[in-house]
Amino acid sequence: MRDIAFWQAINEALMEEMARDETVFIMGECMRGALFGTSKGLVDKFGPERVLDTPISECAIGGAPVGAAIAGYRPIADLMFSDFFLISGDEICNKAAKWRFCHGGKPKLPIVYMSSTGGYVGSDAEHSQCNESLIMHTPGLKLVIPSTPYDAKGLLKTAVRDDNPVVFLYHKQLLGTKGNVPEEDYTIPFGMADIKREGTDVTVIATGYMVSMALKVANHVETMGVSVEVIDPRTLEPLDMDTIIASVRKTGRVIIVDEDTKRCGVTGEIAMQIIEQAFDSLDAPIKRIAAANYPIPASKALENIVMPQPNDIVAAIREVTGKDLGAPMEVEAPLDFRALTTGAAGVTKNG
Amino acid sequence: MDSKFSKDEMIKLYINLVRTRTLDQVMVGGLLAGKIGGHWTSQFGEEAVGVGASTFLRNDDYILYCHRGHGITTLIPKGLSPKAFIAEHYGRAAGGCHGMALFREFEADLGIVGLSGTLGGNFVVAAGLGIGAKMRGKGQVVVCNEGDGTYGRGTFHECALMAANWKLPVIWGIENNQYMIYSHVSELYPKDNLADLAFGYGMPGIIVDGQDVAAVAEAYASAVERARAGEGPTLIECKTYRIEPHVFGMADLRGAKPRPQEEIDAWKKRDPIKLFQERLVKEGILTAADIERIGSEAKNEMEEAERFASESPPPEPETLQRALYAE
Repeated sequence: MRDIAFWQAINEALMEEMARDETVFIMGECMRGALFGTSKGLVDKFGPERVLDTPISECAIGGAPVGAAIAGYRPIADLMFSDFFLISGDEICNKAAKWRFCHGGKPKLPIVYMSSTGGYVGSDAEHSQCNESLIMHTPGLKLVIPSTPYDAKGLLKTAVRDDNPVVFLYHKQLLGTKGNVPEEDYTIPFGMADIKREGTDVTVIATGYMVSMALKVANHVETMGVSVEVIDPRTLEPLDMDTIIASVRKTGRVIIVDEDTKRCGVTGEIAMQIIEQAFDSLDAPIKRIAAANYPIPASKALENIVMPQPNDIVAAIREVTGKDLGAPMEVEAPLDFRALTTGAAGVTKNG
Repeated sequence: MDSKFSKDEMIKLYINLVRTRTLDQVMVGGLLAGKIGGHWTSQFGEEAVGVGASTFLRNDDYILYCHRGHGITTLIPKGLSPKAFIAEHYGRAAGGCHGMALFREFEADLGIVGLSGTLGGNFVVAAGLGIGAKMRGKGQVVVCNEGDGTYGRGTFHECALMAANWKLPVIWGIENNQYMIYSHVSELYPKDNLADLAFGYGMPGIIVDGQDVAAVAEAYASAVERARAGEGPTLIECKTYRIEPHVFGMADLRGAKPRPQEEIDAWKKRDPIKLFQERLVKEGILTAADIERIGSEAKNEMEEAERFASESPPPEPETLQRALYAE
């Protein structure tokens, strides 16, 4: 199996699904130019009729797929930034999420809404948000947040084949990361969490970019005798609570990490479900690591205060285990996503 | 008077006008009897717009409709069963959407594809249907009728642009009944004619007398022909008037004051059914006996549908999960 980048894994899934099914098409702003690389080369292979470049019109990009799906197609809409889901809130959270339900379950709406998501990019409050709690909160939508190239390709293929609206969020910091990805066709079922690392002392639940942060912390604390299990739900709707509960029963200690705002966030929802189902297995209070209750500031110095940090997870592990974990972990600076994405799009940054 | 429609087609238009008005009256009765859980927005006096727009569409043409009358003037001519329509309003299992929707209908085989609960939400769905219709290449068109107030939504701009750029087979219809709840249209737009909105998108903007069902049908027929030929969208403004208050039973104001009675009375004189009936009698297409028969057939049809709805059971709880996600 070869290693390819996260953006390439997404690109391969799109290429393969559009080749497999001619009713699949993609629309969004500057899809042909492939801002994040994900749609690179699609127009050459499938033509402008199936790779639609729109004006700046997020409502139409979010809403037109509902009509196209009713008409028998399987549209993929790219919103570019997950922050822009809010512009298209009526279209995604009312039209796509509710059209089937409101019409008695008659229409099928096979739609994929994809976009970049997440912070650590110094790009301000309206290009850095994670909106997973908003999406997860809305009945009628499914929500996929891959953390590895392998998961990205397999989950995106499942999303395209699903007969319901699926939101697929790719984190900017992950786009350039590499991993093993099969060349052959494969899908990953929704609602099946992946145990990214087995452990016995603490369960850390994380999605997207937070998975790689949790894994780094797990490796760090292992040297001090703490065994961490890292669980990636991969899809938040449907959510695989069985795998989470089984891990909680094994470790008795839980930390939930999410990049969205802590207040009313995903961490609160998962924590409450654990309390409802496995309170008797908890040996310590559940800890939540998530973005502080602020919009995301642009300044790195301030952004680092608001966004979850590796040492926040270390501190939580210290609290739930009572172990002395020594000096703070040394943290590498996050990757510069602009370098990654311009490289991904094939626009050379060196001229 | 010359018409592009045959005698039978003219009679079909007349029958649809009468059927929709009769259904409107049955719905008012259902509301007053406490059988409708929600609200009813009567379309009395505006029937010619929807009937003219949808009577001659193909089954595989898509239609999205103005919320007024909850779509009866477009849906009934398109083939919707009044039984399903009334049962839906009564919250019954036999409703077109199994009691989920009140004012929405979905019948894929008839090109009836639903209604957005938020105004302006139809525009985006219409644009997407237009993308699908164009991709399929079978000459299908999309008719998207909305009220004058709804054309204030930014979604119209985005979708008009999309349809114009890609020559989508979409007909944007404006049922301009001059009132958005209490606000008069003259306070909502800087110009007299909403059809002028078409200019910036390079599409035809047609103004038609919304009380004249044959004129409306002709305007839509020419726009449909253009769309089927791949020449792109058209905007049609139908000038009409809302006789009843916004929602049946609520206050009837213009701004903060009562709506002028003389304005309502003047428009009542231009009742679309009366106008068309007079014309058809004058042209020898209908006799007094035909008119009587058409009226009583419509009454029987709608009363039978009402009885069916009243006797239908409520939906089962399992409906909720089945409706949420497709397997």
